[in-house]
Amino acid sequence: MHARRLSSLLDSPSYFNTVGSKEGWAPKAFVSSRSNRNKDQSNAAAQRPEDFMDEEDLVQAAETRLLETADSVAAIGIAGNAGRTNDGFFGLFVTEEETMGVKVVQQMGWRRDQGVGRKVRRYASLDDGTATSKDASSQHLFAPKDARSMPSAREEIHRKGLGYQSEARLGRAEQDDTDPGPSLAFSFLEPRNSQASKKVAPKKSSFGVGILNDTGSDDDDPYELGPKITFNKTLGKEKKVKKPSKFVKPTVAEKLVYVPKKAMKPSTSLSRTFQDQHLSLKGFILAIRTTDSSKPKYPPPQIPQGWKSSKTIATEPGVQDFQSVADAAKSSTLDATARASLLGETPLPSRSIFDFIPKEARDRLATLTGNSHLPQGLGQSVPNGNQLSDKAPPPKDLWSFVPVLDKTTAAGALAKGATGWMPYAEDPKKRARYIGFLELRAGSKQDLPERGSDMSVSDWAKELGEFAHAAQVFKPTSGIMASRFTSSKSSSQSGVENGPPGENLLRHPTTKIEDPADQAAKMGMYGPLTRSNLPFHPTRLLCKRFNVEPPPDNPHSADFSPGDFDTKAKTEEAVSKSDLDKMMREVSTRGPATQRPAWMAYDSVPAQATEHATVDVEANEALSKERASEDVFKAIFGDDDEE
Amino acid sequence: MPPFPTTPVAKLTGHGGIVHALAYSSGSATYILTGCSDRTIRLYNPAKAPPTSVAPASASHVYAPGLISKYSAHGYEVLSIDVTRDNEKFVSTGGDKTVFYWDVQTAQTIRRWSGHNARVNRGVFGGEGDSVIVSGSFDGSVKIWDIKQNNYKPIMTLDEAKDSITDVAIFDAEILAASVDGRVRSYDLRMGVCSVDVVGYPVTSLAVTKKGTEVLVSSLDSTVRLMDRTNGQLLKAYRDESFVNTELRVRSTLGLNDSVVLSGSDDGMVFAWDLLEGECLHKFRHSEMRELKGARNVNGERKGKKDVVSAVAFCGARREWASAGGDGNVVVWGMDT
Repeated sequence: MHARRLSSLLDSPSYFNTVGSKEGWAPKAFVSSRSNRNKDQSNAAAQRPEDFMDEEDLVQAAETRLLETADSVAAIGIAGNAGRTNDGFFGLFVTEEETMGVKVVQQMGWRRDQGVGRKVRRYASLDDGTATSKDASSQHLFAPKDARSMPSAREEIHRKGLGYQSEARLGRAEQDDTDPGPSLAFSFLEPRNSQASKKVAPKKSSFGVGILNDTGSDDDDPYELGPKITFNKTLGKEKKVKKPSKFVKPTVAEKLVYVPKKAMKPSTSLSRTFQDQHLSLKGFILAIRTTDSSKPKYPPPQIPQGWKSSKTIATEPGVQDFQSVADAAKSSTLDATARASLLGETPLPSRSIFDFIPKEARDRLATLTGNSHLPQGLGQSVPNGNQLSDKAPPPKDLWSFVPVLDKTTAAGALAKGATGWMPYAEDPKKRARYIGFLELRAGSKQDLPERGSDMSVSDWAKELGEFAHAAQVFKPTSGIMASRFTSSKSSSQSGVENGPPGENLLRHPTTKIEDPADQAAKMGMYGPLTRSNLPFHPTRLLCKRFNVEPPPDNPHSADFSPGDFDTKAKTEEAVSKSDLDKMMREVSTRGPATQRPAWMAYDSVPAQATEHATVDVEANEALSKERASEDVFKAIFGDDDEE
Repeated sequence: MPPFPTTPVAKLTGHGGIVHALAYSSGSATYILTGCSDRTIRLYNPAKAPPTSVAPASASHVYAPGLISKYSAHGYEVLSIDVTRDNEKFVSTGGDKTVFYWDVQTAQTIRRWSGHNARVNRGVFGGEGDSVIVSGSFDGSVKIWDIKQNNYKPIMTLDEAKDSITDVAIFDAEILAASVDGRVRSYDLRMGVCSVDVVGYPVTSLAVTKKGTEVLVSSLDSTVRLMDRTNGQLLKAYRDESFVNTELRVRSTLGLNDSVVLSGSDDGMVFAWDLLEGECLHKFRHSEMRELKGARNVNGERKGKKDVVSAVAFCGARREWASAGGDGNVVVWGMDT
């Protein structure tokens, strides 16, 4: 219906029924209604859906209005529950809404009518009831049986407690309570033949978009389920809302109930109807008499005169006297010094700067800041201990030009010079001065570094600064960096010294140190000198071929498989599993080999089969142990540039 | 002193190059397999090849006397041969870097394994029931090949040696490898230990005694040594003033129930020493097929490069041994009958 409505709009390409008319579509000048929003409230009623419908729509609306009989009229003649639609097959007409949970679970392999949980191993139960062979091999894994579905949530059952009166029912005659029927009780499908037309609370989510909310956008799927804007004014067949329509239906303002004359008599018969024709709740019958006369009645006890109860009403203490902390703080009149004295603190020997500055300065400050409440300037002398010391050398001393250098750095730079290379190769005098400066800073010399003959003081000072910087730069590399570099054997002095060129160019190959075993063998001393033993790990296949047991401590014993052709000697394999584990362990504990400082000796632990570490569930060492030393972290994570 | 076979009893002819490989068949040792630099392997029956045999002309198709069959598959010289204990199969290796596994009856290769990077100097059977072949190569590696499974990769590769492997020997569950780097490495599978013995000079030949506790080692300092395998000590050194072995790979072997040491040489001589005493018992000139008696100066009679006795083999069944020379002939020496 909605679709038809839409198409009718499209079919008549009218923009609110103006295009095509002789006026055409003339856009109105826009008038902001922000401030005038409430102005048109009175006119709101003037805009009815009918205003937006053209002739075709009106015709359709008229067509689709159905004549409906009042439920009560239709019920005459049909007794009881005969016409009910909730019979045994009620559940079949339930539309299955696939919730997201169902979708997810289906993607994970569940199917409808299966239970959830681990698959059970049982015999197949065939549908036709034939006996299956009960041997062990015919057992298969099946999904567990589905559990009985719980009755639906309470909110779906439109049943209230005893005596509940919903607002919708006020003012109308008591109705016959419907039988429970199947557990799914859809109120809108309840029979129409109940005595009163039930006005059920309108469903919050309506189907489709009404004409008032129709933006003409094709994206709106009219069949989209979900909370849409609810509105009260709908045209067309919505079963939920039962307003008294001004159309054909006979108004059922009041029900006319056929009450047999019998009920009018105040009778002692068991009945359910009250005197005002209201029915009592189902399962209840009207009581004949309200009091039970069989039981003896006793009057309440007589209170003796002048009796006072022993229980007194407790007065809550201090309710009125409660004062919040904030209130207390506000009402306090103490200041810092008063509080300090209250607490018994010894007063700090604090003295304001105003004690020391002269009067003129204080006055100047006061005028500048405009704050005349500054304490008076007293111009006192500086207390002892804060005075300038006389022992410091005058600032114009030459020593002040000599830059500071860490002793260790200086010593390191000197050491580097001893083994390798010193800067300023081209200027030996400068180098000598550099060494002198280093020695001073290292502590081995005490005199002022010498100044070059033609250098001014400032040049000299600059040179010293240069030396300090050079010392820091050229200090011997340690650890990580040291392993990266090796110094060249040929000295840089070859450029300076003009020795015989042939000698320097020729590189004499270093003489090979002969293996002591070779020496012994050549001398004929065969025996312990010439014999050495190395570990050898034959593969399991090889041992199998030779019909021997593989030797213990065999790393290959763990990972042998009959089809494992590619096992090679431990020395040859690209990376065996045990080696890989070992390398990973090494990297994680000591850093990659390139970054390992020189003092870390190579792993001398024999490659044994790793045992599985015992897992302690209670304690976690990684969390409880102290943080590793900075060196370790630097070794692992340190940048190459920093050291 | 037990008599030593000194009489040539057979001459196997027909090869067109230096005979590098020499092997007696197993068991009764009726046959001799030879491998030559002419890329062929020949199977001879020495009983059918009298010492007066003459090699047929190279173009003719006449079989040399005693020749039973020829095996031609190698593309390069054949450097070693070994026969299984049941005489059904044999292995040959050579310059084409491949290990050939032959069937004797069909004269066809059953398997060929390539993996070495250079010529394969030696290939021997090993393991239980001869289920593996161990090969040593010029590339310095010893590879162990599985016969039972159909895999083209070796079971294991041993490459501790730093130079060419010249000889491989197997004793029980131990693999010995001799190398030009002057060391003999003994891999004990039971113990999981590799024992390295430094000989000092390039080692060219290995022979293990029947007991397995000693090994005979030839090295390129014209010395043959008997080493104790348990502790690497030298037990005996065999030298002779006329014994020269400094350039070529020359085999040495044990014979007569490990009482005699036999070795070829660079200059066509064959030497036999007493194992225990170390004195030289006999000298033979291979090309002349006679024993040299007396302490004559034999050096002047060298006939050039080809006059090398590259291989000697002792017969396991009788007092007989064979020498293979650079002239393409194999001389079988036996007892005077």
